[in-house]
This record gives sequence, C-alpha cells and structure tokens, in this order.
Amino acid sequence: MLIGIDVGGTYTDAVLLRRGEILEKIKIPTKSEDLQTSLLNALEPLLKAAGNEEINRIVLSTTLITNLIATGNIDPVALVLIPGPGLNPKGYQFNVPDTFILSGAIDYRGREIEPLKEKEIKECFEAVKARGVKRVAIVGKFSQRNKSHEEAVASYFKQHAPEIQTVMGYQVSGRLNFPRRVVTSLLTLATQDKFQEFYSQIQKLLVQRGITAPIYILKADGGTLPFQQAFLKPVETIFSGPAASTLGVLALTPIGQTSVVLDIGGTTTDLALILSGKPLLASRGAKINKHLTHVRAFATKSVALGGDSEIQVCENTLEIMPQRAGSAYCLGGPRPTATDAMRVAGMTTIGEEKRAFEAMNMLGKKLKLPAEQTARLVLRTMVQRLAKEINEMFLAWEEEPAYRIWELLQKQKIRPQNVVGIGGSAPAILPLLGKEMGCRALAPPYAEVANAIGAALAKVTLRLTFHFDTERNFYFIEETGVQEKLGTKRELSLADAEELAFTWLKQEGDKLGISPGEEPELVYSEMFNVVRGWSTTGRLYDICVQFPPGILENWLERREQNAE
Amino acid sequence: MPNKTGLVFFPAFDWAISSTHPEREERLLYTKDQLFEEGIMDLPEIYEYKARLATFKDIARVHFCVPEIRAQVTEAHLIAAGGTLVLADALMNKEITNGFALVRPPGHHAMRVVHGNRGFCNINNESIMIEYLRKKYRIQKIAIVDTDVHHGDGTQDIYYHDPDVLFISFHQDGRTLYPGSGFPHELGGPRALGATINIPLPPGTTDGGIHYVLEELVLPILNEFQPDLIVNSAGQDNHYTDPLANMRFTAQGYARLNARLKPHLAVLEGGYAIESALPYVNAAIVLAMAELDYSCVREPDYREDKFKQSPEKMNYIKELVEHLKEIWKTRTLLAEQKEFYEGDFYEQKRSIYYDTDHIREQQWEQIRLCKTCAGYQMIKSRGMYPTGMTKTIFGISIPLRACSICQEEARNYYQEKINNPQGLDFIYLQDKPRDTYYRYSVENNSQVEIE
Repeated sequence: MLIGIDVGGTYTDAVLLRRGEILEKIKIPTKSEDLQTSLLNALEPLLKAAGNEEINRIVLSTTLITNLIATGNIDPVALVLIPGPGLNPKGYQFNVPDTFILSGAIDYRGREIEPLKEKEIKECFEAVKARGVKRVAIVGKFSQRNKSHEEAVASYFKQHAPEIQTVMGYQVSGRLNFPRRVVTSLLTLATQDKFQEFYSQIQKLLVQRGITAPIYILKADGGTLPFQQAFLKPVETIFSGPAASTLGVLALTPIGQTSVVLDIGGTTTDLALILSGKPLLASRGAKINKHLTHVRAFATKSVALGGDSEIQVCENTLEIMPQRAGSAYCLGGPRPTATDAMRVAGMTTIGEEKRAFEAMNMLGKKLKLPAEQTARLVLRTMVQRLAKEINEMFLAWEEEPAYRIWELLQKQKIRPQNVVGIGGSAPAILPLLGKEMGCRALAPPYAEVANAIGAALAKVTLRLTFHFDTERNFYFIEETGVQEKLGTKRELSLADAEELAFTWLKQEGDKLGISPGEEPELVYSEMFNVVRGWSTTGRLYDICVQFPPGILENWLERREQNAE
Repeated sequence: MPNKTGLVFFPAFDWAISSTHPEREERLLYTKDQLFEEGIMDLPEIYEYKARLATFKDIARVHFCVPEIRAQVTEAHLIAAGGTLVLADALMNKEITNGFALVRPPGHHAMRVVHGNRGFCNINNESIMIEYLRKKYRIQKIAIVDTDVHHGDGTQDIYYHDPDVLFISFHQDGRTLYPGSGFPHELGGPRALGATINIPLPPGTTDGGIHYVLEELVLPILNEFQPDLIVNSAGQDNHYTDPLANMRFTAQGYARLNARLKPHLAVLEGGYAIESALPYVNAAIVLAMAELDYSCVREPDYREDKFKQSPEKMNYIKELVEHLKEIWKTRTLLAEQKEFYEGDFYEQKRSIYYDTDHIREQQWEQIRLCKTCAGYQMIKSRGMYPTGMTKTIFGISIPLRACSICQEEARNYYQEKINNPQGLDFIYLQDKPRDTYYRYSVENNSQVEIE
C-alpha cells in the first residue's frame, strides 16, 4: 500500500492506496505554525485504515522549506565567492552580510586561469571565525568543470575549524549560471539542518508506532527521493505542492493527452501544463523569495483569481480584484465575490442564496442588469481572463529561445485537449472554460485529494547531465558533482559516451531504489568537434539521460469523467 | 532608467560551412558557456528573444540571389537574418532601448548580387534588417558602423548609392587582409558621395588607435549626419588573439567602443578566436550595451601595458584621420567636381571574387543620374562558377524614395528586358516603393513574385 500526504498552505490532503483503489482519503485544514501536527493528524486515519497490511512507502510533500524561507527561520551562512572575470562581483545582491570575494579563476573549459591566493583564504577564514558563523557556502564560477578551487578553500576550513559546515557550489548544481548556483548553495546550507530535524522527528514518531515504511519526499520537479537523499538538497523540495497537484491530475486523466491543470483556490488559480502526457518543466530554475535558483520545477503560473476574489464595477466594467476582502458575501463576507456569482448561477449550493442575490444586485445596479445576468457576466469575465492567461502560458513556452535550427523549427503550436480543474470552484468554472477554449472540461474523481494522490504515486526520478571534453580529458555530471578523468576512455565516441551515461544512470538509479523495470530515456545528446588550426583535436559531448518524472501507472485505475 | 537591452542569441549549434571551417558549430559554444555562467540572461536589463525565420521577401528587399533565394540560403541563414528582425521590431515597439543579435552565420560580405558565399557570408543580415526597418517603420536616415576587422564590402556595395544610409567601416588595411578593399577613396556613388567612409588601419592597431578614430572621426561624423538609428556590424576579429587577422583590440576596448558608439542595434559579424576572445568580448559588449559595469571582463592573459599604441602607428592613424576629416568636410564640393555628373547614367564595371565558393563575377552597373532622387540602379552580372558554367542576370533596384519618373522608367526597363532577354538567364525587379519583388526566368519564360 502507498500513502501520499500533501501538507499545503491551506489544506492537508492524504490518501491511502491499495493497488487499483483508494482506500481512505482525508482533507483537513493545515496549521501553518505546526506542520508536524497537521501531517500526523492526516496520517493517523490512514494508518488505522491500513490495519496490518504492509505499507510500501510514504511520500510527503510539505511547505516546510517555503515556510522556513518565508519566515526567515533559516540558518545564517557566510558566502565565499571565487568569481573570476566577468560581471563585477560587487554588483551581486545576495544580501549576505558575511560575503568574501577571493582571487582565482577557472574558465569555461575547466582550466585554471588565475590561481588562488593562500593569504586571502586565510584572511577570509579568520574573518568567518571571528564573526562566529557556523556555515560557509563556497562557490566559484565554472566550478562544475573544475572543483579544485572550491575544494582547496573548503579543505582549509575543514582543517582549521572542522566544526564549520561547508557546501561547495559544484555539489549543489552543475548547471551553468553562477549567481543561481550561489543562491541555491546558500539555501541548501541554510535549510539542511532544519529539514533533517523535521523529518527525523517524523520518522522517529512513525517508528514508535511500528511503521518502518521508507519515507520519500516529493520535489518541485515531480520526482521523489528517499528522505536521506533529499537531505542533501532540501531546497529542491520547495514548491512540491504544484508538482503534487499536476501529478495527481496526470494520474486521474487519460494517458498521453495535452491538458491544462487548474488548481482554483480562494484567491489564486495555479496553472500547470501537461503536454502529450508529460508535465512541462520550466526551462530555468525556480524563483525563491525574489532570488533565481537552479531548482528544477514544473512550469507553473499563478493567477490572482479564485472563489474569494472580490468583484467590483469600475467605469461600467466588471473587474476581478487581486485581493481578498473576506469570505464570500453569501457566507457572511463583506463584499461580492466570484462565489456569489456561482451561487446565483446555481452552480454551487454553499452559503445563503438570498445574500448571493444581494451581492449580485449591488454590482448589477451599477451595470443596469438583473442579478442573474450580472452573475453570468462575472463568470464570463473570469473565464475569459483564465483563457487569456492559459494562452499566454502556451505562447511563453513557444517563445522560449532556441539555440539550434531543429529546435527552432520543431516547436509547433500546441493547444490543450482538456482543461482539468481541481479545487473548490473548479466544477463551476470548468465547463464554461472548456467552452471558451474549445476543449474538454474534466473534473476528475477524487479531485479534492489530487495532491495527495500525486504525491503517493510520484515516481523516483533521476536525471544526469554529462559534459565530456575529450581534448581536456575529463567529464563531469551536473547533478551529482562527479568530475573524473577520462583516462583510457579518451578516444571515446558519442555512442561510447552515451553508453557510459546510461551505465551511470543505472548505477545511481539502483542506489535510489528505482526499479529495474523502469525505462531510462535519452533527453538529448550532442557533439561538438574541437578544432584547432584546421584539425580536430577533441570532442565535446553534452548528454542528458533520465528516469523521467511520472506516476506509478499500475497503482491506479483511471476513471474518466466529464465535468459537463 | 536602466537600459533595456534585447538579445537574440542564435549560435546555430547544428550548422557549419564545413566541419573544420572557422564558421562551425563550435564558434559560439564557449560564448554560450560564459554568458550563461555569468547569468547574463537573468539580469533585469536583459531581454532575451527567440529568433524567427526571415521570409524570402525580406531577403528579396536586399538581394538578387542567383539562380534563386532557395539556392543561396539554408534555414540557418533565415534564422540569423530573422533574429535581427525580431530585435528591430522590439526596438520599434519600444520594448527595448537597444539590441544585440548574437547570430551566425554572418553577412557583411554579401553584396546585392549573390552568386554564392563570399567571406563566409551568403546574405547580408544588417541590410535585411535595415530594409525591413525602412519599409515597415519608415525610418529614413540610418548609420552603419562596421567594426569587423575585415572591410564590410557587402554592406558598402548595397548602400554605395544611397545617400540616406551612412556606411562607416574601420578595418585592417585591405593591402594586408581579405577582402582587399575599403580604401579612403571609396566614398560612395555620385548621388551619395561621402555616405561611405573607409578607415583602413595598420596591422597591430590597439585600443588606443581605434578609440582615437572613434572619438576624432566616427563620432563627429555621426553627430553631423544625425541618423535616426545607428547599426553596428559587430565583428570581433580586431581582437589580439584572432587567428585570421593581425590587430590588437581587447574586450575592454570593444566594450568602451560600444559604450561610446551607443548603437541601437548591433549584429554579430566575424570573430574566430572562439576561446580566447569571443566569450570575453561578447560578455563585455552585452554589459556595455546594458550600461552595466564591464570593468571586470578581461581576457586571462590581458595586461594593460601590453596594449600601448606605438608612436609611429599612432602618427599614421592621426594623419589618416586628418585626411578623412578633410574629405568629409569637402564632400559636396568633391561630388560636384566628379565627371560622372555628365549624361543620364553613371556607369561602372568591376570584377568580384567569391573566396569561399571560388566564383568569379563580372558586373556592369548603371545608376540613373536623377535631379530629384537618388536614381534607380541596374546591374548586369555574370557569375563564372568553378564547374565552368556561367549565369548572367540583370537586376533593377528602385529605391524606396525614388521619384515617380524614375519608378516608371525602371519598371519599363524591366519589361523591356523581359521582352528582349538576349544573353540573360534571369531578370530581377526590386520595387521597394511598392514592396514587390520579381524574378523572371528566361529559360522558363515565367515571372515569380517573391513572397
């Protein structure tokens, strides 16, 4: 049996799955100041329902990292930068009081172009010590291609003050983009201990109850990792909520189709895309607390529109206000909302009908329209706004830069087959939106616990991105920080390199417990000749292989249901 | 107000002239590494755009392609040219304040008539962009400053008779480098004398020499010409490590040049020191365009004292600048003195060599000497291909602001040629006022409008 729990900002969803069926589902309000209790309260009934049957795994998705960062409850970190030539490092705004900039530089091929200065390392160390900071992030430009500078600084710290924790940029992310690597490294180190503390506690409490099922944590890219692996890069578990809902929708809708996922909440609607059955990942890392990072996440968009959105009339037109004025008027709130319109249109039965009409009449008076027509106008305005945002999201995807001819030519205009809604107002809005956009509106069964289903069924994923440089005789892996000499493999062909990449993937996959039946996938494979003078002196291969994100297909029977 | 700098980065990682040619997949690879590692695309001043494909009509506005456009361009060419159009639109829509098209393949050696590839170029990206801007947005006066180490002979050819487009090129002296042209006496046709300025610099010219030329000559001329738009043909082969040339320009030098010139649109041209120069030069130029601090962008072996201009070369440059200043000052007088004022047409004859494709071309060119407009242009061109085959074409180009008499006359000439096509394979009409472009095949006796 599988357990999935999503501790979201407002609600905590949980499900217990037996092969092919949902045995138990729970939805309770989240206590944001006490995530642990929310999580355990949701878990309790599931454990009861499971009885003595074996639980294969428990997947957790929480707002822990989001909350820690939002409340500033993270550990202080000093920052040691080795930027080399380029942007003036004084212009960076990482907002870290203890920032040190060292000489030394590595270039794009991983060559040292300027050595470190021992004296500067020593001075920086003394200063960190004097300030009493216990964590240091050491990040150099192009360190993913040559970690020697970062390691030299880290080992100096280790040698002279073993109690100081360090993280090196190359360990955190090997993707190009130094400022993002800096931010991601800072967040990694600043959240590691609190992350460990939180989940160790959960694990301990479970063990006390005799539950020994492995705990997995959901990540922003829809993959899931054993807790002990997730600990290495806790920041990757941020934004797991939208990933959970997208995976949930993936599990509950027909295989292989193109859908828009709408999670319609109180004041916001979160949009995500599933293209031909694959959730769309953002091409660049997520933005966290106004800082750009290397955290891979689903491409999502948040629209300030939901059931509690206040509706006003400005100069004879209806406007959906971005803020919430309180609950819906029909529920005793102060001002007309989208929910009141739904109530008048007969799409929901919550609240007092009389008050809902009152609310629509307030707006209708200014528009010289009866309440029913006003309500329809409100809904149409909302739907048009959503359709526009969805179109823009597809457009933004089409307009993403392409650096190769084939990429530029192959990107076709794709439009969704389905709009799939979860969240309270979805059943009311979806049919209208489907009509507006000319596609099917789906309100899947169990939509209210889609997030938990997504978490429960999330696959363990692994992505490895290789860069081989046969002239310089080395290769590295962006995600794991491995940097190795090619040695005797120096003459390797593209096919050899791909084979090596798959060998690595399998080996690392085994460690994570990816089942041997999973099909690995070649994401891309590219070769450049290194030509010096007029002859080829080496080759560069960029190869990416993965076990893609997705859901454990055989665990759930799909049932289809039109919202109309 | 921070600058909004548009970038189109199209490194064409799947296109090469041949696998070991300087124009190969690898050319902008390390530039990509440097720009991406810097996080340049994340800067709030930078707006990255996706390239698009230029249309055949965009190309026909500039070129007579022999035998047809399809034979001269690949998708990579269409995307490189289209990338410049994306930025042109963004600039005119005020989404950006300036833009840099970091695209390949390059274009500034491509002339109006295209029989094949010259100096790694098939079609002229800047000219395609400029004609698009003039047609769509009615921009009249444009200045092109070509800072590639090679003379921008293609762009010069296209605008040689156009008084509305000022073309300034500084480059390594043509006596020492391809294409062997670009001397001070090349000043533009009779109706556009002084609208072409060439500054051949001695090999070994450093930042100091180039900045002197910029400050003392280029900027004052621009100031007097008052263009609506400045375009930079941004070649990067003046760099001290370029394998195909012999100059001593640095990344800092390029950045300062850019900061002073302030082009609205820059388009990448040559530059083949793909490791030692391009990653640094491109990073520096992008920062300079965005008005950001570029002082820390330096090549690994850069030492300030290595790049002092020798007094002898500086004197040579100063004399050259004085000479060109004098020409600029007296350009109207010079135009009056030239004998080509006599008769209805100014004629010239020349031969052109296509180094990449080993094609020889003979050209007979006629410019209508009109009293009220710049006059239309007629070119008869014979390409002699390495296979021994030849193709002869006749092309007529009507400028956007041609007077109605010239327009009529030129269109009649086109019809006349079609009725009487002896010795010709193809006849072209570039009708810019109507924005229609025709190609007539003599063999098939058929006319195609290029869309």
